[in-house]
Amino acid sequence: MPLGIIFKRALRDMRQNLVTHVMTTIVVALTCLVFIFFSVFSLNLQRIADRFGKELAIVVYLKKDLPQEKIPSLYQKVVAMEGIESVRFVSSEEAFKRLEHYFKNEKEVLEGVDPLFLPPSFEIQIDRAFYNPGRVRSIAERLSKWPEVQKVQYGKEWVDRLESFSKAVQAAVAASAILLLVTAAFVVSNTIKLTVYARQDEIEIMRLVGATNGFIQGPFLLASFLQGVGGSLAAIVTGFFCYEYVVNIITQTELVKSLNLQFLSPAHMLTIVLVSGVFCMAGTAMALRRFLTL
Amino acid sequence: MLSGDQPVIELRQVKKRYAPDIVALDEVDLAISKGEFVFLTGPSGAGKSTLLRMLYKAEEPTGGSIIIDGVELSSLSKSQIPQLRRKVGVIFQDFKLLFNRTVFENVALSLEVLGLKKDQLAARVRQVVDGVGLSAKLHRKVVQLSGGEQQRVAIARAVVNRPPIILADEPTGNLDRKRTMEVLALMDELNARGASIMIATHDDSLFNNTHRRVLRLKDGKIEEL
Repeated sequence: MPLGIIFKRALRDMRQNLVTHVMTTIVVALTCLVFIFFSVFSLNLQRIADRFGKELAIVVYLKKDLPQEKIPSLYQKVVAMEGIESVRFVSSEEAFKRLEHYFKNEKEVLEGVDPLFLPPSFEIQIDRAFYNPGRVRSIAERLSKWPEVQKVQYGKEWVDRLESFSKAVQAAVAASAILLLVTAAFVVSNTIKLTVYARQDEIEIMRLVGATNGFIQGPFLLASFLQGVGGSLAAIVTGFFCYEYVVNIITQTELVKSLNLQFLSPAHMLTIVLVSGVFCMAGTAMALRRFLTL
Repeated sequence: MLSGDQPVIELRQVKKRYAPDIVALDEVDLAISKGEFVFLTGPSGAGKSTLLRMLYKAEEPTGGSIIIDGVELSSLSKSQIPQLRRKVGVIFQDFKLLFNRTVFENVALSLEVLGLKKDQLAARVRQVVDGVGLSAKLHRKVVQLSGGEQQRVAIARAVVNRPPIILADEPTGNLDRKRTMEVLALMDELNARGASIMIATHDDSLFNNTHRRVLRLKDGKIEEL
């Protein structure tokens, strides 16, 4: 059957049952909005985690009695590790100088203190492309097992919390995605089922005059696809304005402004629209299969 | 059947039983040749409608075989049934019209399923609606028409796609004498153009003075009058 006829019949059906179709589209839009909320939250949380995570350094304190000649080989060993962007050696003297600079107004605090009392250390920057919280922890754990190392410090708790929170949000996004697909497909297929019930006579007549299942199902499938697409588009537009409103409020502070928060990418939005449309159509196809027997 | 003609409708030992022990058709043999005009009569409940329904595969026989235009119906897959129904125009006893749609929309339905282009479809619908005398009411909703007019819409829809076989189940049941004669004249015209026609009716006056073949269905058997 030509696509033009399917379109014409689908639009006529939707016009005749306008209230039902609009209500269904609103339910799909609300479902998509839940998903979009979690997606934007997760996306920006990831960005924040990346941003702060990339600024995290691992500080490896070496044993005080480590012979000076072992330091270059140890330095090379650290540099050779995967995911290391840069390594800086901080000698005991330099560490003391930093302490002096920190107490520049209370220099008497350090009077009589041995300038070598602080251990030498390596300050390691993680490669930004390589960064994720799990990898930072793995590098730190490997370094702490080296015999020359006294202690390894990094924002462990912060990284661990961020990682578990990020995982929880990702799980929520996945759950809301499933919720979106199942709910949207369920709601749309049930609306279509009601429409099919209401039009049993018309469908019977169409069958008797030689309509194929494609001819009968086409407009229903197209209507459900349009509901899925329309609902998700409405959700994206609503979600975008809500996002803009919230961002305008929270970016009053410089810190939040510097986070450079973002809405969904065009590819992400397109995926939501298409997946919503296809799932609504698939739900309807399954519902119709039971109804439209010849 | 005219000797030597290939039957367009053929029933071989067709049985139709309903639980628990109702016999609608009992080993019926029948052959209707191309271009033939046949009346099927019998009392109410004799199985006339059942027989017609089996010819367009709305119902399955319990036994035997039905062959339409050389095709054994039991061999048809579900996807082939629409093709059969496009060959068989049916005028239903209860019209089966969409009452909230116009005459044009109802008649056009048979052509829409064929995927005809808009202008071609419109021209064909106008021509057929004109043929049944309803051109002035083309854009009226069916619900606004009288019973006789609705009957004519049902006829127009059945014949608009020019099917080679036309089945009519009590097509004049709701019509007065004048309209009944008009419908019969219309059927004659369609038959003259080559369509094979089978009219199921319990109204003897339709065929009393006819030269057409008349079949009577009684106790599940067919006898020729």
